[in-house]
Amino acid sequence: PQSLLQAYAKFSGAPLTVNTINNSWRALKVDVPVLLSEDIVISQPAKILNFLRKQKYNADYELSAKQGADTLAFIALLEEKLLSALLHTFWVDAENYCSVTKPWFASRMPFPLGLYLPGKMSRKALNRILLTRGAPPLYSLTEVEAQIYRDAKECLNLLSKRLGTSQFFFGDRPTTLDAFVFGFLAPIYKVSFPRVQLQKHLKHLSNLCRFCDDILTCYFRLTVSGHSPAGQDTADANLRKLTQLVNKESNLIEKMDDNLRKSPQHPPRKLTTLKLAAGGEQSSPLNRLSP
Amino acid sequence: AAEPWPENAALYQQLKEDQILLSDNASSLAVQAFLQMCNLPIRVVCRANAEYMSPSGKVPFIHVGNQVVSELGPIVQFVKAKGHSLSDGLDEVQKAEMKAYMELVNNMLLTAELYLQWCDDVTAEEITHPRYGSPYPWPLNRILSYQKQWEVRRKMKAIGWAGKTLEQVLEDVDQCCQALSQRLGTQPYFFNKQPTELDALVFGHLFTILTTQLITDELSEKVKNYSNLTAFCRRIEQQYFLGHDKDSSATVAARSAKRSLLR
Repeated sequence: PQSLLQAYAKFSGAPLTVNTINNSWRALKVDVPVLLSEDIVISQPAKILNFLRKQKYNADYELSAKQGADTLAFIALLEEKLLSALLHTFWVDAENYCSVTKPWFASRMPFPLGLYLPGKMSRKALNRILLTRGAPPLYSLTEVEAQIYRDAKECLNLLSKRLGTSQFFFGDRPTTLDAFVFGFLAPIYKVSFPRVQLQKHLKHLSNLCRFCDDILTCYFRLTVSGHSPAGQDTADANLRKLTQLVNKESNLIEKMDDNLRKSPQHPPRKLTTLKLAAGGEQSSPLNRLSP
Repeated sequence: AAEPWPENAALYQQLKEDQILLSDNASSLAVQAFLQMCNLPIRVVCRANAEYMSPSGKVPFIHVGNQVVSELGPIVQFVKAKGHSLSDGLDEVQKAEMKAYMELVNNMLLTAELYLQWCDDVTAEEITHPRYGSPYPWPLNRILSYQKQWEVRRKMKAIGWAGKTLEQVLEDVDQCCQALSQRLGTQPYFFNKQPTELDALVFGHLFTILTTQLITDELSEKVKNYSNLTAFCRRIEQQYFLGHDKDSSATVAARSAKRSLLR
C-alpha cells in the first residue's frame, strides 16, 4: 500500500511528506499507512485516494467514464487474484518470512514491538488467505497455495495482455490504475526472496517489467541496474536497497513542490547505479540523490 | 468436443419459496442465464440441503452425466471443455476486461449482498435467519443460521468489511453499478452483440436485487438509478427466460410473497 500511495502522489503531483512511522506503537491500533492533513486522519489506501482527489490532486482527470469503470474492475481483479499471493509471498511462506520480511520490518521498529508486530501481521495474512480462498474442495494449505499462485500468474498474464505495448494502462499519462498495479507489482519485482516463483513469472512478462522500470526511473528517480544477476543477490543487499529507496523517496517528496505535474518525458537524472554484488559481498551504500 | 450434453442435466439450489437467500439466488440465476445463453437445457431442482451436497459448499451446482461442478467460474470452464463457449469471439484485451469485471461484481455486489444479509442486524433477524433455517426443526434452525452468520462475519472481518456501515456498503454498490452502467453504455450486451458469461453474472445479481423485497428498498433503488441496467435485465429476461415452459427462477413473481415484479 505504501508504494501505491507514493506512486499516486507522484502521478498527480500532490505535495506529500512521507513520514516513516517511527512511533510504531500506533500501528497496533491504526492501519498503516496513514495520511495526516491538518487535523484529518485517514487510513486505508482507497480512502486516501478519494481524499487526494477531492483536494484536486486527480490523476484520473482526463479519463473517460468507461475508463474509470475499467479502473474499478481491474483494481477488483488485483485484489481478488493477486493480493493473496502477495500476502503469501511476503508473510506466510516460511523461508521468505524468516529471511527477508521479518528482519526487515523488525529492524524498522522499536524494541520490543519488532518481536510482536511482524508475527501479528503474518497471522493476519494467513487468516485472510484461508478465509477467502481456503474453502473446500481445497483442504490443505499446499493446495490453497498452489491455487493462489495459479490465480496470481493468470492475473499477471491478464494485466500483461491489457497493457499491451502502451506505456501506461490508459495511454501516455499514468492514472490511479497504474498506481495500483505498480503498488502490487513493484514489491514482487524488486524484493529478492529465496522463493521467487512469482517473480520469475513476472520477469517473463517483459511489458510489465518495462512498466515498473519506467515508473521507477521517471517518478522515483532511480536507474535500474540492467543486468542484475538474478538469484545471486544477497538478501542483505536488497534489503538495504529497499530501505534506501523508502528513505530517499521521503527526501524526494519533500522537494516535490517544485515539480508538480511531471510529464513522463521528464529526463531522469543521472545516478550512480547500485551494483548488486554476487556471493557474500556487501554492497556499498551509494549516494542515490544529491539533495 | 467431448460427449454431448445429456438430457437430464440438473441444477441444484435451495428451496425457492422459503429458504433461498439473496446472494445464493443471484448466483443460481447467473448460472441459469449462462446455460440458457449457451442453449444447454437444464432443469432446476430445489433441495433443502443443496449447500451440503455441493462439492465446494456453495450453490448452485450442476449435475451433468456423472460429474458435479459448482459455482459459475468452474461451470464456465466445464462447459468450455464440452465445446460450448460464449467468449471465444473476444480478443485478448476483451477477455482480460471481462475477467476483471466479473471480479468486480463478485468483489462488490456479492460481498454487499452477503453483508446486507448477515451483518445488518435487522435484516439478519427478520429475513435471513427465518429463511435459512426454515426446513429444519427448532433448535437446529437457529444453530445452523447462527453458525453460518458467524462464518460470514469472520470472513467480512478478514477482508475489512466488518467496519463498514450500511451507508458505506450502499455507496460501494452504487459505485459498482455506475461502473457497470458506464461500461455497458448503449450497447445491448457488455461486449456488443453477443452475450457472455459477464452478462449472465451481472443479470443474475441485478435481477435478484431488483426483484427481492427486503426491509427497505435502498439496495434496489441504487440499481434503479441506472436505466440502462434495468433495460438490460428486462431484455435478458425476455429473451432467455420468458416463453419457456420449464421451471425457471426468473418467472416466480406470481408465486412468492417475497418478490415484487420487475417494473
